[in-house]
Amino acid sequence: MKKFLSMLLVTAMVASMLVGCGGKKSESGSDESGNVTLDIIISQYGNYTQEWWKEFEETFEAANEGIDLNIEIVSWNDIYEVVNTRISTQEQPDILNISGFADYVTDDLLMPAEEYVSDELQANFVPSFWESNAIDGTVWALPILASCRALFCNMDLLNEAGIESVPETWDDVLTACQAIKDTYGDEIVPWGLDISTDEGQAAFAYYAWNFGGGFVDDNGDWALNSAENVEAVEYIQNLIDSGYCNSAPFTDTRYPLQDAFSAGTLAMMIGPMNMVAADSTVNYEAADIPGEHVALGVCDQLMVFKDEEAGDARTEAITKFFDAFYEVETYSDYMVYEGFLPATQDASANLAENAEKYIVGGTEDTAGNSEYFATFCAVLPNCKFYPMQKTEWMDVRNGVIDVEQQVCSGTTDAQTALDNLQAEVAE
Amino acid sequence: MSKKNKALSVVQPYIWLLPSVLLMVTMIVVPIISVFKISFSEVGRSGLIKGFNGIENYVEVFKQPAFWTTLRNTFVWTIAVVGLSTVIGFILAMVLNQEFFGRKIVRAVVIFPWATALVIQSVIWKYIVNADYGSLNVLLKKLGIIDSFVNWTGTAQSMFAWECWVGIFVTFPFVTFCVLSGLQGIDAALYESAAVDGAGFWSKLFKITLPLVRPSLTVSTVLNIIYVFNSFPIVWTISKGAPADQTHTLVTYLYKLSFTEGKSGQAAAVSVIGFVILAILASIYMIMSLRGEGED
Amino acid sequence: MAAKRKGWQKVALYVFVIFLCIVILYPYFVMFITALKDKSEMYAIDLILPEVWRWSNFAEIWDAAPVLQYFINSMLIAGGATILAILCGIPAAYALSRMKFKGKGIFMGAVIMSQMFSPVVLLVGIYKMMVNISLNNSILGLILLNAAFNQAFAIWLLRGTFVSISPEMEQAAKIDGCGTVKALIKVLLPVAAPGIITTLIFVFINSWNEYTIALTLISTDAFKPITVGINVFYGFNFIQWQYLFATSLCATIPVVVLFLLIEKHLVAGLTSGGVKG
Repeated sequence: MKKFLSMLLVTAMVASMLVGCGGKKSESGSDESGNVTLDIIISQYGNYTQEWWKEFEETFEAANEGIDLNIEIVSWNDIYEVVNTRISTQEQPDILNISGFADYVTDDLLMPAEEYVSDELQANFVPSFWESNAIDGTVWALPILASCRALFCNMDLLNEAGIESVPETWDDVLTACQAIKDTYGDEIVPWGLDISTDEGQAAFAYYAWNFGGGFVDDNGDWALNSAENVEAVEYIQNLIDSGYCNSAPFTDTRYPLQDAFSAGTLAMMIGPMNMVAADSTVNYEAADIPGEHVALGVCDQLMVFKDEEAGDARTEAITKFFDAFYEVETYSDYMVYEGFLPATQDASANLAENAEKYIVGGTEDTAGNSEYFATFCAVLPNCKFYPMQKTEWMDVRNGVIDVEQQVCSGTTDAQTALDNLQAEVAE
Repeated sequence: MSKKNKALSVVQPYIWLLPSVLLMVTMIVVPIISVFKISFSEVGRSGLIKGFNGIENYVEVFKQPAFWTTLRNTFVWTIAVVGLSTVIGFILAMVLNQEFFGRKIVRAVVIFPWATALVIQSVIWKYIVNADYGSLNVLLKKLGIIDSFVNWTGTAQSMFAWECWVGIFVTFPFVTFCVLSGLQGIDAALYESAAVDGAGFWSKLFKITLPLVRPSLTVSTVLNIIYVFNSFPIVWTISKGAPADQTHTLVTYLYKLSFTEGKSGQAAAVSVIGFVILAILASIYMIMSLRGEGED
Repeated sequence: MAAKRKGWQKVALYVFVIFLCIVILYPYFVMFITALKDKSEMYAIDLILPEVWRWSNFAEIWDAAPVLQYFINSMLIAGGATILAILCGIPAAYALSRMKFKGKGIFMGAVIMSQMFSPVVLLVGIYKMMVNISLNNSILGLILLNAAFNQAFAIWLLRGTFVSISPEMEQAAKIDGCGTVKALIKVLLPVAAPGIITTLIFVFINSWNEYTIALTLISTDAFKPITVGINVFYGFNFIQWQYLFATSLCATIPVVVLFLLIEKHLVAGLTSGGVKG
């Protein structure tokens, strides 16, 4: 009997360990006392994103009694995984900062923006940004920040190779690459190319748009196998085959390329405006992408998930959150802090005048001064964006990456690959 | 009392098993069930489960050419990594079983790859073989072995070969130590008497060593097949399946399906397929080991 | 003649062994060297050794990210998982090695089967379940999962160890009036210590090195283990190779030391686990 009892005890102990040590579940929504907790997921834009939001949280909670912010910073590596698993377990956050929202709309998970955005704030957004998040006339997300991609050239390297000015056309690019290759051999990579699984769709956009093609036609229908797109993909293939690019374009993401550019071992690449490290000594010039000079604008969003059980208190808290975040001083500070472009009109105007004021206390990664903001904010309205509002976007995004990788690894030719993709998407 | 004791002795083993069973059921069986369920469900891209849809997910998976490439890769990966690791590990164990100066140090060195996290190993190897700034090219060029940089990962095949190499690198120490432990159990007298009988190196190897370390080899092989088949960080860190899904194994493929492409239903189907394959392998192993026991 | 051949063999042996050591240590050499480079030298292609040896990189990692916290978390996760896995594994292995009961074969089969699914494959299911019991984003959740996914291996090794030990001593102890539990603790466990230590270390290392579950399950920085934590140096705009590798080395060394400490037991433990497995 003693044996049995002692055994039972051990079992019970283990069982209680298993069952009894559950952590606290974070409650979203409001409790009896009228307090509201907002679960918020923010993408990690830089090394110090966490710090900025911590400060914001404290300031906001002090100013708004009864509203608790539960802000999580998630890196871009993990964010889709984290969010998808949350949604599949009905644990979605209240507010999410991510890139792309059409899938959530398809699954009827989001609140229309007009339900929670104050009129003043709505009027303050740069109209093209506000509208870029609309599907069939309803706006589903708010633009949090924007960035713009340009061609970066290391002028010292180009000059040394006998190239006097930034390449204007795609043929100029080939000439410049060859000159650099002839001059430096292994030491310098002429052209940075990223057709990785992570962000290969950006490369497709740079080349397709600037060869006159693109993702959609004038009616907004998918037009992936246009002659221009074929030409663009073949051009990428030619860059690789001629030995002008970094050796592993399938797996090199932008980040090591940017590092290499900043370190002076990569001569040219297309990248975001804040890509050169602040402590870099490279003498560089940023210019329009060759060809049609169409820049890729990247605009990430903030969106609000539905919560049927929560009442108006939640919506009001969300409105307050956005008003506080987009407030011109706070928002300008965040933009300078992360080195991105603002999506509101007053912040654009403000930063074009006094960006320097916010750099105090900024970090090593902050790039920019008023001139820089003035230039890029002016360019921004002319940027093209990914057709994120279309429901097939994720398939197309993965599809074009696949096409690039197939063609450049010699599995198929550009025409066949793009025809197949078009057929798949149109299906 | 004696009746009670009898009842107790029937129940007792199960009580001893209970903690373990509880742990495994809650943490492993429950998720397995939910994966099976998801594999037969329609899942929205945002992760929302929308209901039963039969074998739709499986049909979709089988339609993808990438799946078949992946399946082939998985077999190549498992066989190459486990096979070569076993050979290398075995040879090394034979060497380390000799007495020589510095043996302790070598044993310590062999532990390194085993004790390092796979993520870390993958990142460092990715850094080493990078053709533009990787240290392998720099080193070889300095040593004068190559004139200009070699693009080690230029094709899908070479990329996959490197991944296999990393896999072998992290796997062989386990084999070595398993075999070493088997070798230590062998009585030296056996070899001596064999030597007296005039047995050479090879005949000693096949007649004495191999049969006696067979159990150790079996353990290491079975565990390695499972671990290598399910290994994720190496392929994911180094190539993410690029170019064009040609370097995936089942595990990375389903991860990409699920988390990059938002096709959780299909990803679950691939999980189940992987499970079935391993289950078949396990049954073969069990049948074989049961027969082995019968022979004894 | 014989002596001559022996000399030749010795040379071959040393050549082989030295070559092997170089190959194995090469990545660690690269890690070490890179960890000591300045950020600006990272992409310079004519440098094997750093121009300036920046030992300060090793000091800076602790400020650049909550690396210490990551270490503590890894310790808690691996330590907790090991204890739990052993606590559950010992009784199970004992029952499997010393008792006869119905369903023994099925249980052994099930234990092996449970290894068939890698955690990666089950991620969605795991996440769902952890949310249901509110253990997502917690260290405890990772402890339970790591313990569970190492259970099969623990049982396997422990059972092998127990089987290799003759039950006579326990029976003698029982005759002297010890209960089964007492006999297990007093008699069997001390004898089985090498096997148990091997198992402990195995589970510890597997848990310490686990990456995928932690990556998905933990979203708060304060709970991240080191394997996931080092991603901060692989972050958004720039890769800080020097910090990445400095931290990686720091994460690897304790495990290697641990392994070295038990190397003798390790070999002994694998034998007993293996032969009778």
